[in-house]
Amino acid sequence: MTITVDEQRRAFEQEALPHLDTLYRVALRLTSDPSRAEDLVQDAMLKALRSWEQYQPGTNLRAWLLTILRNTFINDYRREKARGPTVDLADAETFRLFDEVGDRDPEGRFFDQIVDDEVLRAIDQLPEEFRETLVLSDVEGLPYQEISTITKVPVGTVKSRLFRARRALQSKLYDYAVEMGYIKKNPE
Amino acid sequence: MKKHEGLNCDDCVEHLYTYLDGELTGETESDVRVHIEGCGDCFGHFEFERTFLRFLEARAKAQCAPEPLRRRIFKEVLLDNGSEAE
Ligand SMILES: [Zn+2]
Repeated sequence: MTITVDEQRRAFEQEALPHLDTLYRVALRLTSDPSRAEDLVQDAMLKALRSWEQYQPGTNLRAWLLTILRNTFINDYRREKARGPTVDLADAETFRLFDEVGDRDPEGRFFDQIVDDEVLRAIDQLPEEFRETLVLSDVEGLPYQEISTITKVPVGTVKSRLFRARRALQSKLYDYAVEMGYIKKNPE
Repeated sequence: MKKHEGLNCDDCVEHLYTYLDGELTGETESDVRVHIEGCGDCFGHFEFERTFLRFLEARAKAQCAPEPLRRRIFKEVLLDNGSEAE
């Protein structure tokens, strides 16, 4: 059975395009550059449409598209030294925000004062494999198994990357909140 | 016969993120749930982390694909794809 190009495009439009926001957000965190993110998404979408016949209906389309996006990024968009400084995860590993502020702000009210840009900046400073895992999980809501498929590492690695990325992010955002005076530093 | 001693706080916190991520199943999931229901410290800790994760998602998910990109995809991917020439 052959399907016409028109049918294929219609299917692509109806099924793949709804994932555009997710693809763009992930591309943005991978490239840290809006115009490169747009180019990356367009390239990935073009590849996806051209290999649409390889996609098996009923399987996970989001994971399939994200895999194409990620491969395109690695092959054509990754710049090794172009990024800013990344946070040292070893330092952040032992940090637990709840231990710092849990008694003073158990409901995490100071989060309300931290704006979008600051959170995105903190995410962008994570090393790539941690950043990518955190975005897929905590921003896009993908389950561990799907992230494992996309990033080609075992579920255990996804879990440990996520754990360390969250700790690092908490540490980073806490430092920022202290600096801005949103919360006082814990007197030790 | 099943020995069921429940979890202590350290064991419970070990599972914190997998629990909040909805990735725990079976007995471990119910052990954690039961512990949190009966332990104020762990309950507070879990709720704090849940709030953190919600905050993270809300802040980082505010962006959408820009309209020009959407138009580009329609024009250059969906309409022009017929020509395989690069
Ligand atoms: Zn407890």
